[in-house]
Amino acid sequence: MAVLNKKKSKAGADVNMASTADIAFLLLIFFLVTTVFPKDKGLSIVLPEQSEEVAVSQKNILHLIIRADGIVDVKRGESQQIQQMRASEIEGLWRQEIAANPNLIAAVKTDPTAPYKYMVDVLDALQSANAERISLQILEN
Amino acid sequence: MAKKVGFEKRSKASEEIPSSSLADIAFLLLIFFMVTTVFPSDRERPINWPEAAAAQKIDEKKKNILNVWLQKDGAVYINDQQYSLDEVSQVVAPLYAQSQRALVISIRGDRDTPYSLVDQMQKELVQAGVVRVVFATQLEQRMQRERR
Repeated sequence: MAVLNKKKSKAGADVNMASTADIAFLLLIFFLVTTVFPKDKGLSIVLPEQSEEVAVSQKNILHLIIRADGIVDVKRGESQQIQQMRASEIEGLWRQEIAANPNLIAAVKTDPTAPYKYMVDVLDALQSANAERISLQILEN
Repeated sequence: MAKKVGFEKRSKASEEIPSSSLADIAFLLLIFFMVTTVFPSDRERPINWPEAAAAQKIDEKKKNILNVWLQKDGAVYINDQQYSLDEVSQVVAPLYAQSQRALVISIRGDRDTPYSLVDQMQKELVQAGVVRVVFATQLEQRMQRERR
């Protein structure tokens, strides 16, 4: 009979929408909190002012000559003795040398044909050893 | 108020505020801010980064950092525009003056760039009067370092 078939289900036909707002806000807050913008990283140096030249006595200079193949020639002050090193060994060297002479300046001279990464490696080693007085030059010959 | 006479008439309008549209508003805001947020930065150039373990975060506001890209072949990109190496000082000097000498130059050089080009870049920056320079690198893992 038509009358019997008209029984309706008591459960609501549509999904409860009230909590959708909460979900949206939750997502919003989640992404707000977790988003991290990558900050640039690098080795910072301070460039000298134009025509600023300071005379430094040779005994306060540690020459680090980076050759084209990445090997570093270490020369102390005026002595002609050359010690060959890898970039990773410079950190230890600098710690020794700076303990002996606190006024030491690292003069990094790079071969013009040497890739940039070797200079960065040496600079990295020096900064790892907390070197502050670093001079970057190009090797002239 | 109606007098308490006869039957109380019920309002036909629902008492509840319809909350189902609140979600739509939230999503709309979310999408609006996602679309309209623009980070003022230049496009990345495809370079091979040098790596360093001692790299530190640049302690400066983002708007005071100028990225100078230096490619292997000597091409320089500043703010998405290509320059040659000897134009760098002319390009950087006015930007540096504009920032009241607060600008930090981030040199983003390819790891295989010959050092002569990097040196030339430094000389150009000195000529522009720039003092604070950062050699941008990627952080090197200690593991890699020990292998080297």
